[in-house]
Amino acid sequence: MARQPDEKVAAKFSSEDSALIRELALLLDETSLSEIEIERAGLRLRVARNISIAASVPVAMSAAAAPLAGVAAPAAAASETDFAKHPGVVPSPMVGTAYWAPEPGAKPFIEVGSRVTAGQTLLIIEAMKTMNQIPSPRAGTVTQILVEDGQPVEFGEPLVIIE
Amino acid sequence: MFDKILIANRGEIALRILRACKELGINTVAVHSTADADAMHVRLADESVCIGPPPSKDSYLNVPALLAACEITGAEAVHPGYGFLSENARFAEILADHNLHFIGPKAEHIRLMGDKIEAKKTAKKLGIPVVPGSDGAVTPDQDAMAIAKSIGFPVLVKAAAGGGGRGMKVAHTEADLALALTTAANEAKSAFGDASVYLEKYLQKPRHIEIQVLGDGRGGAIHLGERDCSLQRRHQKVWEEGPSPVITAAARARIGQTVAKAMQEMKYLGVGTVEFLYEDGEFYFIEMNTRIQVEHPVTEMITGLDLVLEQIRVAAGGDLPLKQDEVTITGHSIECRVNAENPVSFRPSPGKILQYHPPGGLGVRIDSAVYQGYVIPPYYDSLVGKLIVHGKTRGECLMRLRRALDEMVVDGIETTLPLFRALVREPAIIDGDYHIHWLEQYLAGQQPG
Repeated sequence: MARQPDEKVAAKFSSEDSALIRELALLLDETSLSEIEIERAGLRLRVARNISIAASVPVAMSAAAAPLAGVAAPAAAASETDFAKHPGVVPSPMVGTAYWAPEPGAKPFIEVGSRVTAGQTLLIIEAMKTMNQIPSPRAGTVTQILVEDGQPVEFGEPLVIIE
Repeated sequence: MFDKILIANRGEIALRILRACKELGINTVAVHSTADADAMHVRLADESVCIGPPPSKDSYLNVPALLAACEITGAEAVHPGYGFLSENARFAEILADHNLHFIGPKAEHIRLMGDKIEAKKTAKKLGIPVVPGSDGAVTPDQDAMAIAKSIGFPVLVKAAAGGGGRGMKVAHTEADLALALTTAANEAKSAFGDASVYLEKYLQKPRHIEIQVLGDGRGGAIHLGERDCSLQRRHQKVWEEGPSPVITAAARARIGQTVAKAMQEMKYLGVGTVEFLYEDGEFYFIEMNTRIQVEHPVTEMITGLDLVLEQIRVAAGGDLPLKQDEVTITGHSIECRVNAENPVSFRPSPGKILQYHPPGGLGVRIDSAVYQGYVIPPYYDSLVGKLIVHGKTRGECLMRLRRALDEMVVDGIETTLPLFRALVREPAIIDGDYHIHWLEQYLAGQQPG
């Protein structure tokens, strides 16, 4: 995973919310639980070990989707190496910036649940103004999309899980 | 000054560059192949980007991947280290095309000195003494024998596109010339893609003396004294020291002044090393290396200058640190290149370092990226690290080196440490009485002449 300089994440959260998420993430680490979901007035939070960016976060909390993934990094870091070894992983063949869609505003090539054929374009990785289509190595179903739209990726970085 | 530098190299030199960047407050980007994911400099860098699989051509020589890594990290300058792309003029130009800085000399000078025939012509023009030889490449229609006779046998047939000790064949007598010419040309063609060869006088027992230079690119340049790198095996340096046991202050000033003046005329930018063969009091230019060299720490120890830091400074438009008359040479320094090789057969010995204890104490420096538990990958060079010692005199330096070598532990792989422990006790080495063939004769079991 291309290590980035530390970025302060939870811009939209109150400090209580981010403290709560931190606590949940720690709990996840300490216990053998794979996910914790809590709900109280106006707030539903789910912290899971195999975080999937495109799905399973309630619409009301969609603004929190990115920060949630960022804050859960301590738990996700353990699963990241699992992704690299996952039999369905599609690793990046190059260095560049990953995009979900052929151009800004267009429909993404895939989403979680998409069925793909071998050779079908999954993502674009852009480097130095050239767009490179990344083909699926096999037929199957997209179970996880591991990179965000516009995320810098390195060689070998897990992009997508196709099972 | 640069804000962020991408280190386009690996191993000990990548760590060396990282250290200079940190001391300048510059952010560091380490690029690495999958085989180097656990490298020390990758762990210490501010950011890291995996750029490819183990083979160098797909990673450390992969220009698109390096450019993409600059793009996604926002690095504005690239330090190429030594080897890999450090003397690739095209790479320097490509970086410039992308508004990135190449921390090194101007592309035209890299290109000029990369062609060994052109380099020699340039040196001659600039007043640097050269080895007597053919005037340029020896072409099939020329009378090679006549040229060789005018130089005087024995002669050396050298590849124009070679360098670093590769692509050379000796013709001891007239009878050997034809075969040496065809063999050298064939080897040159397959190794460098260019069959051009030239002839030079073969010196019998010269020493290899090189002068370190530093230029600001605007006509300012200084020399930083010499290093004696005569102890070589298969043209690879093994032990380097400075000052040379045989160079007097007067000789140093004479050749240093000639070289510095040439660099001023060229408006040379960055560090460089002008290499000579030295015999019977005469210097003969062989080539110039337009990069930081492996043995640069020897000069750092005796001048007190951080050469990588100065490299970065002048690349960013800064000034030279000293005027020539402010440069001082203090004491003596010796460097031993410790390789992961069997000390007798020199067979490579990659693998896991089970026990590692680097020596320490006053005047002892280790430039190495290994650590206990580190696995030396089989894909790259076999350098474990460089042991560099400094002393007030050569004698003190030798005692310190002996002590440091005896203390150093690298277990789990084979290393050339036993060779150095033997060399530091060898009378000829202690006397400083050796030449460029000495080590190979010693290894072959002969009594070196």
